[in-house]
Amino acid sequence: MQDTDPRNQVSDTFSTGVPGSKSQRKSPEPTPEPPSPTVTRGWRVQLTTTASSPAPALGRPVPLPTSLCHRYPPQCWLSSAPSSTAPNFIVWETEVPSLGERKQARSETQRISKSKQRQRAAGSPTGLGAGRRAAAGKLRPLGGGVSTAPSSPCQRSPGQTPPAGPAPPRRQPPPASGPGGPRPAVLLLAPLLLLALRGVAAAPAAAGGREDSPGLQDAELPRGLLQQAARAALHFFNFRAGSPSALRVLAAVLEGRATVNPKKECQVDLVFTTDHYDPEDGEEHLGKCSARVFFRNQKPRPAINVTCTRLIEKNKRQQEDYLLYKHMKQLKTPLDVVSIPDSHGHIDPSLKPIWDLAFLGSSYVMWEKTTQFLHYYMAQISSVNQWRTNDDAIDFDYTVLLHEFSTQEIIPCRIHLVWYPGKPLKVKYYCQELPTPEEASGTEEGSAVVPTELNNF
Amino acid sequence: MKPLLGTLYLLGILVPEGLGYDGSPAQPRREVVGETVRPWRSLDTYSYTSYHPMEEIYQWMIQISEKYKGVATMHFLGMTYETRPMYYLKISQPSNNPKKIIWMDCGIHAREWIAPAFCQWFVKEILQNYEDNPRIGRFLRNLDFYVLPVLNIDGYIYTWTTDRLWRKSRSSHNNGTCFGTDLNRNFNVAWCKTGASENCHNLTFCGTGPVSEPETKAVSRFVESKKENIVCFLTMHSYGQLILTPYGYTKNKSSNHEELIQVGQKAANALKKKHGTNYRVGSSADILYTTSGSSRDWARDIGIPFSYTFELRDNGTYGFVLPASQIQATCEETMEAVLSVLDDVYEKYWDSDSAGKVTSTAVGLGLLVSFMSIL
Repeated sequence: MQDTDPRNQVSDTFSTGVPGSKSQRKSPEPTPEPPSPTVTRGWRVQLTTTASSPAPALGRPVPLPTSLCHRYPPQCWLSSAPSSTAPNFIVWETEVPSLGERKQARSETQRISKSKQRQRAAGSPTGLGAGRRAAAGKLRPLGGGVSTAPSSPCQRSPGQTPPAGPAPPRRQPPPASGPGGPRPAVLLLAPLLLLALRGVAAAPAAAGGREDSPGLQDAELPRGLLQQAARAALHFFNFRAGSPSALRVLAAVLEGRATVNPKKECQVDLVFTTDHYDPEDGEEHLGKCSARVFFRNQKPRPAINVTCTRLIEKNKRQQEDYLLYKHMKQLKTPLDVVSIPDSHGHIDPSLKPIWDLAFLGSSYVMWEKTTQFLHYYMAQISSVNQWRTNDDAIDFDYTVLLHEFSTQEIIPCRIHLVWYPGKPLKVKYYCQELPTPEEASGTEEGSAVVPTELNNF
Repeated sequence: MKPLLGTLYLLGILVPEGLGYDGSPAQPRREVVGETVRPWRSLDTYSYTSYHPMEEIYQWMIQISEKYKGVATMHFLGMTYETRPMYYLKISQPSNNPKKIIWMDCGIHAREWIAPAFCQWFVKEILQNYEDNPRIGRFLRNLDFYVLPVLNIDGYIYTWTTDRLWRKSRSSHNNGTCFGTDLNRNFNVAWCKTGASENCHNLTFCGTGPVSEPETKAVSRFVESKKENIVCFLTMHSYGQLILTPYGYTKNKSSNHEELIQVGQKAANALKKKHGTNYRVGSSADILYTTSGSSRDWARDIGIPFSYTFELRDNGTYGFVLPASQIQATCEETMEAVLSVLDDVYEKYWDSDSAGKVTSTAVGLGLLVSFMSIL
């Protein structure tokens, strides 16, 4: 195919920043980090601060001033001259902190919200919620406030039995930074400072002896974790690329490295290959990505910086998106479908673009929900609630069934997206937690309007 | 006697319920699928490239055992929770020499439709080719195949009538407020210790006790009774494109782990040659996640040396709802993988080369001894 050397190929980079600075997030967050770009060692492509462009209202495209054309070439393509001087990079924003910095900033303030977090993470004392938060392991009732962390926070060992009552944890170290108080944090600071000096790329993290897992090197890494990070990165990439004709799936992880901090947050640097999502010709079209993924210890919304070589030339991709869009506009509404695909896996060719668009919207949801233990696949569109193309944009309201690993659960999510080719995707969603008698049902919701996110920085 | 009883049950199920769907008063949500249940008459027109509801699979088994009378027989294994009969097909060429057994089961998880499709394909391939194809023919000289096309029959039917993504069995718990046990967490090996749930609402519910479910009981009892002769235990699932070795309940490795990986990797290579599909090979705890109570781990721990879980196509694009258009390719490539495993198993126990070597060595020694005695 084409030259796959990333240095010779055009790439796109997307990233999302430190949690705490986004208003729509529900979880209790520690003090937000100042949004200054941090340069870390290694292969990171490019860091710039974000432009504060006004957020277009839902469904009303707003032409951008031409001075920003180099940042948002698709918009310019839509509203002005056909020839664009777009460079080869699209940079949204940056913010994946180096591990050392984070520790220093958060070690003390973290403690206070930690118990709150842990309680939230533990969910109800019994049953489904606890298990779900604990990422699908043994779902025995938890003692109050006890962390359900497995022996290594980065390792995929979701089956570790959390301690039940007075019984000692099975094959588990004592819960992290529990009632220990400030002492562990102080003990850890010194080696952490050392680590910060040596840089993230070189040093294994989490030196404190009390903590369970040291930094894991390549050889020790469970392959699952790298895959997990790759998936999260790809969901995020697909969402940010906003192009239903250029969706990607994971082909193979080439290399990777993970480090963990005492907060059990897990940073994974990896390189992986991708393939087209469901290529029609059955051929392999491998692209290459590198990513830094920061899992926040079972909390959703991993921070991601990902760079991928372009598989399709930009104009071609825009053309294909626009073709898809035209095709979708021609679909007869209301759509006469029950589920896509049907039980036999069949999708009518005329409805295939709907599947692709639904996958694009689901990518946002799946990115947000992915933790180091849980990941998702889109199993089926169980209903199409609304399909509107009155305005320029496609307004799509549907319910998707997500398959959750490793709980094996099927999570219904109601997603409402608005898409116009070349524009950032707008998504709102609401996922159902399956109710059980032992706990109140919880819900998870979120939304993304990308320009709004930019404004938060 | 048992087959007769089984057949009576079968008729009893088919007749009152029409085409075998649950007779619940409220019409369950059924998708208007482009296909209707075609009453086919002969095996010649049976489609191995489409998904079949349970009543068709029952009929297919009967027809297979009729068409291949000397070689394929249908046997009763046990009853499901909803009192449906479980049947397996035994493929065995009559002969005097003692045989070793290859066990294959499909559809322990209801929504993994490609697995029962593969079991049917496998049976078809063996029976259509054992006479002409020497590779397959030699297997039948020393091996018997026991194939259970659908282990979780109640669940499988439920995915046809009500919920395409159902996974567990349909046993009733908590006074009828909760249904289904994950049969692949119900076997008696490290039962419910890890990677399984004690909560009936979860999809990895391990049941009320080890082997609490009738389906698990039926398989356990049978396999246990034949364990001295079973050399290979294959359990087919989807999705993920994996060949998994023991164990899931621990990261420790089985005594023959190296060999299992080698054989598995060879199978994955053979599979890839067919259509380019990539499968990964490893122990379940290493490359998937921890589980306990799985049939594969249990089989290994009662002494069956070659015990594998196959996770068939795909990698998540369609997942459980794999398009029927991919059945053929999936089955063809998986067939190559299974045949590769069988080659290795066969060569390990009945390697004709080593037998030949033994013979010629014996002859040579005999000659030498006779020379010595002459001198």
